[in-house]
Amino acid sequence: MSNTIATYLCTGCGIGDALDMDAMNEAAGEVSAEIKTSEALCQAAGREMIQADIDGGVNSVAICACSIRVMQQEFNFGDTVSVSRGNIREGAVWCAEKPSESRDEATCKEFTSMAAGDILRMCVTQAQKTALPEPFQLETINMEILVMGGGIAGLTAATEAAKAGYSVTIIEKADKLGGKALGWTKQFPTKAPYQDLEEPTIGAMIAEVEADTNITVKTSTEVARIGGAPGDFDVTLKAAGETSEWTAPVKVGVDDQDRIEKGDMDDPNVGLKPYGEVNPDAQKFGSVILATGWVPADVSEYTHLGYGANDKVVTNAEFEKMAKEGKLGGVNSVAFVMSPGGEEHDQDFPYANSVTSMVALKQAKYLREANADSKAYILYQHMRTPGHLELFYKGVQQDDGIFFTKATVTGVEDGTVHAKDTLLGEDLDIDVDLVVLAAGMRPTTADEPTINMAYRQGNGFLDLDLFDGYADSHFICFPYETRRTGIYTCGGVRKAMNMEETVDDATGAALKAIQAMVSADRGVAVHPRSGDASYPEFFMQRCTQCKRCTEECPFGALDDDAKGTPLPNPTRCRRCGTCMGACPERIIGFKDYNIDLIGSMIKAIEVPEDEDDQLRILVLACENDAVPALDMAAARGHYINNLARVIPVRCLGSVNMAWIKDALSVGLDGALLLGCAHGDDYQCHFVKGSEIADKRMENIGDTLSTLGLEPERCGTRSVAITDYNKIPDVINEFVEEILEMGPNPFKGF
Amino acid sequence: MPGLQVLQNKLGPAFSGYTGKTNRYGREKMRVDPDLHFIKYMKSAGGDTLKKCFQCATCSVMCPLSTDENPFPRKQMVFAQWGMKEQLIADPEVLLCHNCGDCTAYCPRGAKPGDVLGSIRAYMYTHYGWPNGLAKMVSEPKMLPMTIALPAIIITLMLFISQMGSHDAWIPTVQGLKDHGFGSFFGHWDFKWLSKNVAFIDAIMLPAVGLAVFSLFKGVSNMWSAMEKRCDINPSFRPSAKQFVTEFLVPSVKEIIAHNRFRECTENADRVRGHRPLMYAFIGLAIVTAYSAFKQDVLGAFIPSMHGPLSLIDPFKILANVSAIAMIVGVGILWGNRAAAEEKNGVTPTYFDWFLLYEIMAVGVTGISAELTRLIGIPPLAYAVYYLHLVSILMLFLYLPYTKFAHLVYRTFAMAFERYRNSSFVK
Repeated sequence: MSNTIATYLCTGCGIGDALDMDAMNEAAGEVSAEIKTSEALCQAAGREMIQADIDGGVNSVAICACSIRVMQQEFNFGDTVSVSRGNIREGAVWCAEKPSESRDEATCKEFTSMAAGDILRMCVTQAQKTALPEPFQLETINMEILVMGGGIAGLTAATEAAKAGYSVTIIEKADKLGGKALGWTKQFPTKAPYQDLEEPTIGAMIAEVEADTNITVKTSTEVARIGGAPGDFDVTLKAAGETSEWTAPVKVGVDDQDRIEKGDMDDPNVGLKPYGEVNPDAQKFGSVILATGWVPADVSEYTHLGYGANDKVVTNAEFEKMAKEGKLGGVNSVAFVMSPGGEEHDQDFPYANSVTSMVALKQAKYLREANADSKAYILYQHMRTPGHLELFYKGVQQDDGIFFTKATVTGVEDGTVHAKDTLLGEDLDIDVDLVVLAAGMRPTTADEPTINMAYRQGNGFLDLDLFDGYADSHFICFPYETRRTGIYTCGGVRKAMNMEETVDDATGAALKAIQAMVSADRGVAVHPRSGDASYPEFFMQRCTQCKRCTEECPFGALDDDAKGTPLPNPTRCRRCGTCMGACPERIIGFKDYNIDLIGSMIKAIEVPEDEDDQLRILVLACENDAVPALDMAAARGHYINNLARVIPVRCLGSVNMAWIKDALSVGLDGALLLGCAHGDDYQCHFVKGSEIADKRMENIGDTLSTLGLEPERCGTRSVAITDYNKIPDVINEFVEEILEMGPNPFKGF
Repeated sequence: MPGLQVLQNKLGPAFSGYTGKTNRYGREKMRVDPDLHFIKYMKSAGGDTLKKCFQCATCSVMCPLSTDENPFPRKQMVFAQWGMKEQLIADPEVLLCHNCGDCTAYCPRGAKPGDVLGSIRAYMYTHYGWPNGLAKMVSEPKMLPMTIALPAIIITLMLFISQMGSHDAWIPTVQGLKDHGFGSFFGHWDFKWLSKNVAFIDAIMLPAVGLAVFSLFKGVSNMWSAMEKRCDINPSFRPSAKQFVTEFLVPSVKEIIAHNRFRECTENADRVRGHRPLMYAFIGLAIVTAYSAFKQDVLGAFIPSMHGPLSLIDPFKILANVSAIAMIVGVGILWGNRAAAEEKNGVTPTYFDWFLLYEIMAVGVTGISAELTRLIGIPPLAYAVYYLHLVSILMLFLYLPYTKFAHLVYRTFAMAFERYRNSSFVK
């Protein structure tokens, strides 16, 4: 190891009083370190002391003080110095056991010092083992943005990116720009007092795009395939509707491949170039914005409403067209049906949301303006008019000829709408000339790959069924993201949204697309580890082509060659380390985060032998949610069992089972993984990490059983960042379970 | 009420809102056909805010008169928004409302339910009013000149007729005024059994009162039938006329006299202080009028000294004066309250409300003024004021079924209906 390290122990924030300094010095000695102390390491005097050592040749500092989540700037000594942080304050002192009848003050202090000593040893080990990341650099980088879709979202994204100084190519499947907005008679109000519908602005938006010299427009054009990676996408375009040998192939799994070879199944990719083949004529782009919008969702399944069978029943999209074509002349009364459930349920139509509510209001106004004596009935289960649009709703309500009621629409017969459970307290029969169904906005991604990626994991987005066909974006935390780095969705393809929202959304997506290119240029990660210069490196000589990394990468960063050897695309990578956790050969690692480094930290934990109550439990905690929750629990003075030893990890997906084996083989008595919830309402910042970790832990449990160990010694628990009041119990209960099992029988071997 | 039912049968159904189809509860489904003109009317008659309601039901919670069985006015608001005229004019709750304004004060959307109900009541009086032309005229602000001119012309004409062929000066001397009061306003003849003055006053007032009574009877009958239909009441046993009076009408009148419901109001509780003296004043004046008629027209026929103004210390004169003052004070308080409610709570000023306030004020002020000018002894002024007094009284009687004054009958019967609806005849 080329690291010259120095070790510091802060005695501020109550640390000095809580610890036995002799024990700490002894712990440091065991890892050949010498402690320097300061009453406040983060203050000028403390930092000057560290800087002096760095000036004297130290290139890796072990700072045993507070959580890595605080004082990051104070302990930043530049790009040439590695900083390892030992979280003694939150990890041992603030969550220390309070003296009680069963345990006196001196014993508590001793136990706290033992925990702090382990944190110190782990921190020093990390400082010894870590290396400075070297950013990955593409050989050449392209900084042009491809915008797919020429509607409001695409036009806005193109304009905003161009205004920021970037070149943009915008492609549109239709023969002209404008998208759905071309069919609108009026737009929702966008300015105070939010009472009047506005004239469409789509013409002005198109004109702005066409006049912009930074923007290239290609109409009647589609994407055949997108290969490559952020900063270096290879995009093959084709004429709309035509077939191309460069069309991105669908993923064929191992089982399907077998069936194709046996002749049991047709090859879906006949005549298509393999995904890995690069079109030499492909156009280079730096990032991609997907703005392909939506299509009206099908409403024919609701037979009691008669759509398709009754010519008086139309969808909102069809009504919009009638209005645009001036065909509302003979229409005197219209019922707008917002919810199809009949007596079954009160849900709105699929893919409906506030936009469909607003459209009903808008179209009711069309009718009233077309015909002074007309009547519009709005039968809703939910009327959603967010933000200022509430004022528009109030305005529409003022119209004498527009009638609102919550209602369960039980059927439409000829021109009569039957409704019950109304606000009038009566069952109603409403005779109308037309019934308009509030069909929702179905994203284009629900029916087609749309993005057409030539990636190993397939041509479309993953897990679309989880969100009704919307591209998974980790909606709560990172709404613009998709699971494909450098590809951002905006507008109707991402969420049913109105024009104002779409404009905001597209602006955000343009900024994200720029950020992705610039980050690729700097060799650093984008969300959520923004700015991280490390990336996974593969020791390919020892690769067995097991394909676990290429399968498990949540972001499809790894392609492979014909033999199955992974082909990393570091600019697609989010640096979660799921590949590292997956690799059975342990050949994947980051400069500052790898199998050896964490394994060594685990081995640095001192294991008392022959003491039945002095067990040691390893806790690998996700640094996105679990670690902050632990810090907050400690800040609130909650006791966390002092037999637990916490090591933060990037994501539970990065946990390699080698670490669990290390822990048990050095005599630790149990291992707990603390990470985010998974499943439909997953919270994992890297989407799949906690889910994958859970499966791996199940498997290792089986292995433990064969060795005669209780599988319950290894566990995973889900916690959210808000669970700070719950997380101490999660750990404490796990430790209690291990204590009941007794010491690890392999201890001492 | 059998009599009402007979009349109703003659008049035919006043109601057509249901489809004839029934739902699974056996209840008729409502066929929706909003009346846009009705919505416009309500908006013009103080209910301009009705469309603001978004059905949160705060009004029904606030309303001190709303009951769990028949909460209001939340539902009345949505019916109003939907222009459901037939349902609303047959709705007892609309009349049960005492217009205290609690709902309006607490409405989070400024929909002013109290004002909307007021506008519906105004519409009801016009709708049920007979003859309809007269009812419409009285309800129209732009017809106000005609509305005042009609009684003025009647009085003037009668005055003119009474003076035909007379050689005496119409305006008496000071002594004449002192002796006869206004007893010779329409002149004098020597027919012993009926004085000329009384004959003319009866000729003016009795037809007016008769018309009003007939109009109210017809209106209340129609309303009652419509309410029965609206509330799905079709009892196999109907109360006799006696049962109707003793079980439903009299308790309602007692309740009205005690002002129990009025006192439930919080926002506008002061109104009781105005409304009650005003009501007592009308009762008092009715007693004095009856006594006066008995004394002058019956006793006076036998004992000529019974003619002429009452002495100021006559108990009935004291009652008359107290009542007159109570009337002015009462209407003054209501006037002030109304103005304050418009100022403070945003209650909408309406012709419907202010017409009655002005009218009663006119009756009170001209009455007192006529008495004062008579006592002071200024015959021309006294006669002029008395003329105005007669005009204002004629207005009060003639227009009673069509103005807000009609509530004294319609609301009484609505309260009786409420008792009927909750009685064993129905349940």
